[in-house]
Amino acid sequence: MPATDIAITGLGAISACGNNLQETLQNFSNGKRNGGPVTLFQSNLDYPVFQVNNLPHCTSKIMRSLSLTFAAANQAICNAGLEEGFGNLRVGICLGTTVASQLNDTDFYRQYRESGHAPMGSVDRYLNSNLAQALSKFLNIQTHLCTTIVNACSSGTDAIGVGLSWLRNDYCDLVIAGGADELNRVPLDGFGSLSVVSKSLCAPFDRNRAGLNLGEGSGIIILEKKSVSLKRGRNPELFLKGYGLAADAYHLTAPRPDGSGLEQALIQALNEARIGPGDISFINAHGTATKDNDLVEARVLARVFGPKVKFLSTKGFTGHTLGAAGGLEAVFTCLGLCNGWIPASPGFKDLDPEIGIAPVDQKTQISGKYAVSTSLAFGGNNSALIIAKN
Amino acid sequence: MAENKEQELKAIRKKLKEQLVSHLALEDVDPEKIKDDEILFGEGLGLDSLDAVEIVVLLQRNFGIEVKDMSQGRKIFYSIDTLANYIYENQKK
Amino acid sequence: MYIAGMGVVFNRGRGLASLENALIQGWVKPNEFAYRVPQETLTDKQVLKEARRADSFTKMATLAAYDALADSNIPQETRAKVGIILATAFGPQVTTFNFLDDILTYGDAGVSPTIFSHSVHNAAASYIALNLQTRGPTLTMTQFADSFRQAVILAESWLSEKRCEYILVGTADQTGKVMEYICSQKLKIAPDGLIKPFNCAKEPEAIPAEGSAFFLMTNHENYNQYCSISALPVDNREKADLYILDSDGMCGSEEGYLRIANSHSPVAAYAPILGSMLTLSSFSCAIGALMLKNGKLYPSPVRDNPHQMNILEANPTLPIHKIDCLRYNCNQEEQLIRLRKEGA
Repeated sequence: MPATDIAITGLGAISACGNNLQETLQNFSNGKRNGGPVTLFQSNLDYPVFQVNNLPHCTSKIMRSLSLTFAAANQAICNAGLEEGFGNLRVGICLGTTVASQLNDTDFYRQYRESGHAPMGSVDRYLNSNLAQALSKFLNIQTHLCTTIVNACSSGTDAIGVGLSWLRNDYCDLVIAGGADELNRVPLDGFGSLSVVSKSLCAPFDRNRAGLNLGEGSGIIILEKKSVSLKRGRNPELFLKGYGLAADAYHLTAPRPDGSGLEQALIQALNEARIGPGDISFINAHGTATKDNDLVEARVLARVFGPKVKFLSTKGFTGHTLGAAGGLEAVFTCLGLCNGWIPASPGFKDLDPEIGIAPVDQKTQISGKYAVSTSLAFGGNNSALIIAKN
Repeated sequence: MAENKEQELKAIRKKLKEQLVSHLALEDVDPEKIKDDEILFGEGLGLDSLDAVEIVVLLQRNFGIEVKDMSQGRKIFYSIDTLANYIYENQKK
Repeated sequence: MYIAGMGVVFNRGRGLASLENALIQGWVKPNEFAYRVPQETLTDKQVLKEARRADSFTKMATLAAYDALADSNIPQETRAKVGIILATAFGPQVTTFNFLDDILTYGDAGVSPTIFSHSVHNAAASYIALNLQTRGPTLTMTQFADSFRQAVILAESWLSEKRCEYILVGTADQTGKVMEYICSQKLKIAPDGLIKPFNCAKEPEAIPAEGSAFFLMTNHENYNQYCSISALPVDNREKADLYILDSDGMCGSEEGYLRIANSHSPVAAYAPILGSMLTLSSFSCAIGALMLKNGKLYPSPVRDNPHQMNILEANPTLPIHKIDCLRYNCNQEEQLIRLRKEGA
């Protein structure tokens, strides 16, 4: 198959760290963390979460995840100069999520449980909220390539990987890819029951890390064939060079201790990009701040990239946004490459001797061409993206 | 007194074994054949990390006990005996 | 892309032989207006040795995937690298509702982590990888009525870029009390238990169902056991020898199928045996693949035909080499998957 340069021509992000790229970068720079108690719904749990404020497009007719998607997608589309529409371009849409794919409306279920009946409003809302399908309607895009990925915490990364695959095979000219997830009682209760949620703001890779914080948001990128973007008069700087995806086949909730699944995904991505580990300038790690994830992931990063590799986890700014994480972190990786800096890894203070390496603990200049974004999912899925800047 | 304690512990162990088998879907395990000093994790019953957090729920629902600190988990959940003793001690409070 | 192996779990059992028997036996009245997979179908200590906590959604999918791999004759040494794409319309929704039940009964702090872990859509694919010990690319997707077709497209994409050489591609969907209640409110449930797929009704009737169908797919022609399969749109669409219709009452008005009636294209439909599922197209493809392999047509079980569709007879005079599996979704958009016998 002939190599096709796939450019990243638009970025959009909304999370507790900022409702757009500018706000996000400001908070990256000043280290502001917007975690706090949950106010979106009633909960007896007192874990801090990372909520989005002032969400546009919010209506009770659609799930919140969709409003988040629209907000990020609009930014990315404007960023890419596609506000007037897509013309004759063949467009694909691939988005990742967790919450939007499930009918986990407790009020609906309570009514059904109590009386055997419940109004269909929640059901209708759910049926209208398949992310990819709803976005295609919102943007008035007719396409046969419209897919929602539900791969837990790596959904956003995998959605971008699917978009890359479609473009390389010339199934379309442009893909809107990324992920979105809203804060919801179900995952908060669920992750809480797994004893992996922290009662304070999370501290990825830190010696005293005590678990994750949940967050919400959406991160979306526009992928298009370089030739297509040039024809549109764009001069792309960013490129998606590689994607790797491998299964642990180990356990439903715990990562494979030797990290071989993540290592396999990284090697695949590096091979696709035709570069070596030494070419990587930094890594946006999955870094959830759970004992297991950070230990396994950091050891793999040290093994593959050497102990001096620069890495961080932006989940200290956004919380763990589940299906949105991969999308947001791809955007953040692009921002790091474009702007030439990455923020201090939020929440990190002390090296964990078991881990042996530390994320960047101050704002750090970046001068290289390539960066990696990793995602490790519940269920043992491991994904990696390689992004390059010209 | 000691006899009472031993009787109570015996009852707790029996209930615990039955609850572990049903709650953790240990399909081929007969509760009556589980030894009192059976190790729970790794070897013995071969339970894993997901079972560990599920046992926390089991203790809450069936014995009214909250495990506040999972880092103590290794000691408490070592065997049927240690878990039964933990239940006995905490039920008294 | 070729089908090297297949596995199915559905309301009348597990395996291709069970499917063939059901196709020969014809329509059977559903229990309580739903076609459910019997619990005894989901027991297999050897295949499910790492699945003691798994729910029925995961067990269905794991058994079907295992059977598809076992049905193929791809080399043993390649099996660890097999990829997995699981497509589902609603995921393990019975377990999702069980988790909501836990929240309401025990409160936010008293819920079962095991139920939560199994309520996520990708748990089944994780179990498949674990039980089959496959480390290849593994992905779960959900796109309502278009789920299987999107999965086939992605499989074609991955194989073409050599992300892997073999992929288990399949669907799984469940029914349950809550889903059956929702279906009773949103759809018209067939009062006599009969789905009538050729009625092209404005308000078609459905019977909710569950099941899983998996295919081992590859670009290596020498492992082709059934036929080629593709879901990529083509510019000049050739006519098929047979159209298998997914008209099962799940997608609102079926007047779109009148187009097929008007063109007199030969048709068949099997929803009355399998039940109504947004992922029914995977089963239609399995049946189509069986027909192409065995060189025989299975008669459509319910033949009510108010629009004089050309329902294919048991012994057609013309050979069948090209089968298109067709659904019109809730927006009346056409979703097509093409099966072609080798050389066709």
